[in-house]
Amino acid sequence: MGLNSLSVLGEIQARNQHIREDYFNRDRILEQLRSDIFLSGTYVRDLLLEQDPKQADLHRVELQKTRSRIASNIGAYQRELRPQERKPFHEFTTELDAYFNSLQPALEWNAAQRQEYGYAFMKNSLLPRRMMIVHLADKISEVNQRQLDAGNLQIANLFSGFRRSLIGLLILMLLCGIVLATLSMRRILRLEKISAARFGEVERAREALQDLSARLIAVQESERRSLSRELHDEVGQSLSAILLGIGNVAAVLPKQDSSARAQLQELRRLAETTVAVVRDMSLLLRPSMLDDLGLIPAVQWQAREVSRTSNVYVQVHADPIPEDLPDEHKTCIYRIVQEALRNAVRHAQAKTVRVRLSHDAERLALTIQDDGQGFVPEREKGLGLLGIQERVTHLRGTFSVASNLGEGTLIRVELPLVLQRSTEDAFHTIS
Amino acid sequence: MMSVRIVLADDHTIMRHGLRLVLNREPDFEVIGEASNGREAIDLAIRENPDVVVMDIAMPLLNGIEAARRIHEERLKTAVVILSMHSDEGYILKALRAGARGYLLKDSAETDLIQAIRAVCSGKAFFSPAVSKVLADDYLRQMRQQGVEDTYDLLTPRERELLQLVAELKSTKDIANLLGLSPHTVDTHRGNLMQKLNVHSIPELILYAVRKGIIT
Repeated sequence: MGLNSLSVLGEIQARNQHIREDYFNRDRILEQLRSDIFLSGTYVRDLLLEQDPKQADLHRVELQKTRSRIASNIGAYQRELRPQERKPFHEFTTELDAYFNSLQPALEWNAAQRQEYGYAFMKNSLLPRRMMIVHLADKISEVNQRQLDAGNLQIANLFSGFRRSLIGLLILMLLCGIVLATLSMRRILRLEKISAARFGEVERAREALQDLSARLIAVQESERRSLSRELHDEVGQSLSAILLGIGNVAAVLPKQDSSARAQLQELRRLAETTVAVVRDMSLLLRPSMLDDLGLIPAVQWQAREVSRTSNVYVQVHADPIPEDLPDEHKTCIYRIVQEALRNAVRHAQAKTVRVRLSHDAERLALTIQDDGQGFVPEREKGLGLLGIQERVTHLRGTFSVASNLGEGTLIRVELPLVLQRSTEDAFHTIS
Repeated sequence: MMSVRIVLADDHTIMRHGLRLVLNREPDFEVIGEASNGREAIDLAIRENPDVVVMDIAMPLLNGIEAARRIHEERLKTAVVILSMHSDEGYILKALRAGARGYLLKDSAETDLIQAIRAVCSGKAFFSPAVSKVLADDYLRQMRQQGVEDTYDLLTPRERELLQLVAELKSTKDIANLLGLSPHTVDTHRGNLMQKLNVHSIPELILYAVRKGIIT
């Protein structure tokens, strides 16, 4: 379309140029003819008034030149003759021929004849005819002028046509744009609806997954609790009873039966070791302190236990915690501390770990800071940290790990203390 | 010679049986009843008013520490010796707060039980040597790691004497007589002592004494 407009504009310009050049060309020729005709009249007059035959010949020659120039101009004009000009031009040439023919006898006159008839000839024949011819030339000029006007009109028409088609084009474009925009908009809205639906699905799936993971944690915790109880209460107690029995047997054994005493001693050692193993297993699964004594004693026990059995010293600062802290919160905090201390001992090569537990009316805050070698959390977020994240997310809390190589690790957890519905739900599902 | 009347409270029959066999070695010890849960233990204590109840912690219906608290609240002369699997101070403090006089590890019950019963009968506290060791070690480690000075060094000789007597569960009147002071002065000294050691209750004071090896 744009290219077409350009070519139309080019065409208009070219035509305009052509029309103008044509007009000026014709006008120039007509002007020349007109002046030559006048000139021819002047030469004839000079000739008629001339007494000297020599000079008269010169005038004749000039007249001849002028005539032949007129003839050549007429030829030039005739080649480009337009149909509208044919009639005036024919009249013009006919009159012109008649004019030159009428001159012919006067040219042959001698000086005396010129003197006698010259003036009358000029007045009665030459001047009227010449006027007539110039008048005819003006007619052609008029035609030429009309032609120019017609050309201009044509160009103006072409222009206004072009403008109309441009406006049409513009309106068409606008309509196309509106249609295109509407279609795009509808398509975008449809895609948006689809993507919202997809997002909803993903969100639901994520919630289901989180729910599942919370249940998994709850089930795991309850399994651990019962296993731990079983180990402690049944296996541990039986082993204690066996130890007692061994002691009782040893008490009644004759003192000289050293072989039996040695065997009993061996059994006692074995039972003692087993008791210790069972107790450690039970505590690892779920420390009875958590249920018997509460969160802080359990955390303090864990801290002492780590200090006892590793090179890491763990310090605990804890505000008194509300008695009615939900079991899930207790377990969550305890497991986080356990995991963090495990990491500090195993990976961080820390010397000291500070555990701080505080709370206000709305939230429980836990920070665990070690002075170990640190790590890059984005790269090494192990399963342990992920587990912590899951537990905290389920309780609608926040969890962050700040660590850099060589700068220790700071774990920060906040749990809202308002009992959430989901927490209760999770409890119902496991109990 | 008056016999020592003892109640055994443990939900495991075989455990009670083993304990009874240990106690039977002492001619002046008499097991007058057995309970398999905390409620039975309280009922027996109220009914029989024994000298000692040997009490397991983990029991159905009512745990041993709660039962000890109830017996203590009844203001009976009965001394409670707790039998436990745990040497951690959380349990020990809880037992002391519940009014228990002795804390015995099950692993070493066979060797320590008789000694423990004799100790609590004479009004003293008793802790398994293994427990004392764990507490002392934890305390030492804590002081070393935190670089704090041992508060014991701040005590005057009189306060150190007092610490031992209080931890041995002597009454204010007895302490006043022993030291030749007025009961009021004893109270003042005890207040200063607890302030210096930064403890807020008698059970904590006892725990401190165990950590320092002042009593066993």
